[in-house]
Amino acid sequence: MSEITKIINGCLAGDRRDQELLYRRHASKLYAVCLQYSGNDEEARDILQEGFIKIFENLSHYKHEGSFEGWMRRITVNTALEKFRSRHNLYRVDDIDTIQEPDADPDNQDYAGLEANDLLEIIRELPPKYRMVFNLYAIEGYSHNEISKMLNISEGTSKSNLSRARMILQRRVGSYTGIRKRAANG
Amino acid sequence: MDERWANIDLVFRNGLKDFEVLPPPEVWDSIKPAIKVKPRPFIYMRAAAMIAVLLTISFLAYRWSREISKVPDTQLMAFEIDKFSPVIVPAVSVQTVITSSIVDGKEKNVVTPLLSSLISGNSENSVPRENMTSSFTSGLTTSEINNLSLGRNFATNVPLQTKMTSSNVKSIELTPVIPEYIPESSTTNSIERWSIAAMASPTYYSTFNSDNNDLSRQISASEQSVVSYSGGVALSYKLNKRFSIQTGLYYSSLGQEIDGINSFGGFQKYDYTKGDYNFAVLTSSGTVYIDNADVFVASSTPGERILTAYTNDVFDPNKANLEYISNTLIQNFSFLELPVVLRYKVVDKTFDINLIGGISYNMMVNNSVYTMVEGSKYPIGKTEGLDMINLSSSLGMGLEYNFSKKLSLNLEPTFRYYLNTFNEPAGTTIHPYSFGVFSGISYRF
Repeated sequence: MSEITKIINGCLAGDRRDQELLYRRHASKLYAVCLQYSGNDEEARDILQEGFIKIFENLSHYKHEGSFEGWMRRITVNTALEKFRSRHNLYRVDDIDTIQEPDADPDNQDYAGLEANDLLEIIRELPPKYRMVFNLYAIEGYSHNEISKMLNISEGTSKSNLSRARMILQRRVGSYTGIRKRAANG
Repeated sequence: MDERWANIDLVFRNGLKDFEVLPPPEVWDSIKPAIKVKPRPFIYMRAAAMIAVLLTISFLAYRWSREISKVPDTQLMAFEIDKFSPVIVPAVSVQTVITSSIVDGKEKNVVTPLLSSLISGNSENSVPRENMTSSFTSGLTTSEINNLSLGRNFATNVPLQTKMTSSNVKSIELTPVIPEYIPESSTTNSIERWSIAAMASPTYYSTFNSDNNDLSRQISASEQSVVSYSGGVALSYKLNKRFSIQTGLYYSSLGQEIDGINSFGGFQKYDYTKGDYNFAVLTSSGTVYIDNADVFVASSTPGERILTAYTNDVFDPNKANLEYISNTLIQNFSFLELPVVLRYKVVDKTFDINLIGGISYNMMVNNSVYTMVEGSKYPIGKTEGLDMINLSSSLGMGLEYNFSKKLSLNLEPTFRYYLNTFNEPAGTTIHPYSFGVFSGISYRF
């Protein structure tokens, strides 16, 4: 029996030590996911908390097929989606016309020197609808068809949101790398 | 278009792939109450067993104290006429002759004991039969007898039953209703039941580790007890000759050194994470969160006791020229303690010996983790998730040297076992305990 299976069985038996062990081992990775899907730290903490409660409540449904970490990540992403759905009417999406085209061709963009922290900061600056579609498509690998069902939008809107998200990200990455280069050159 | 943009998708996908950020500790505190937990019967069993042992010891000690102080079941009371104080005599049927006589024109019953050896002037509590002399030959009226027996010292507490056997010559059998009653001598009326003591002790703190996994072994192996201290004021009340109940207020400081944790200064300029904490260190007393943003910590041995996104392959403190501080963390807790202790006196001489057992409610007043830099403390964090109130049981032996009626010198080796651990880390079963030798002076009043 693998160690993770032992921990899962302990959690199912209600052993507090195994529950904490499971949390301690995976909370850091899942918190990074929560930060990626949220606009502020408070929302990220709420997603992590609700996500972990669901993980513990649904452990008995885990079939021990495939990656356990992937299973937990999907629950966390779904929790973020639920949060988004419950709040998305409150979010204002930037007017598409105000978004400028990127200065540089994406193929020729220099991404060197960007740390994970920078990427996280850039992605969190996106408007919520764009951030959600970009995360689901580019990071999680869902199709536009799947995303349209998840977010209750049309495929066209999903594609359009992705496109706008990419443009914004491109511009922000450009400004980050530009700042870095200027700083490096003194 | 999609192909052209795939590059930026990859940048974010790969860049964030293994990214980790330590969540704030309060998240787990919020999750805990919401998830199902199986009661851990062995904890309650241990507590129950401890209480049962203490109660059994107390009960047996109480029984024993009763046994050794027991006088014969049937006993009589007589009186020293001069002092009107009761005297215990062995079981004897007392018969007195009551004769009628005319005094001041009224008939009075005059009582004369039939036993020639009943009452003596001996002030000892027990009067041997052969030493008894008749002190009742002077005529006493029945009412005077009743006044003597029912009035004054024992009018309400120990009524005597009086049996009249004839009209002219009557027998009076005096039998105490409460045979166990043992009137104390005149000296014990001024017994000092209260005492107050000032006590202090160096304290050795450590843990029992009943798990055998790698993590708990690693944790236990790296922790060293540091000698701490405890002190306070104890107030006790003497319930009877053997038993006292004691409470008080103590301040105690416990601590341990955690070896093998290298700490470095100057990390703040490299820290780009969003979380409140970058490092969590598992210890037997709970998880230490490093809240000093300028400190980088790394374990000098492989293992899982440090949780961080800045693992060895991500950040090298030596390459970043961080300033090495120390390889030891010091974890410190301070408590205000409210003990409830039962003391049983085994030996009651000039040099008393007491058995001591009880429980203590401990309220945490300080929790800090620091390291030492050139002899001074450098705070780096605190242990999270600790209960503000915890319960400990104590067992000890009290040696008491009475150098006067009022004052005594006390020495009390005491073992204390914490019934609920401070914050048991995941994957381990560790129970703290402490041992101290309390010494001090007590004053009886």
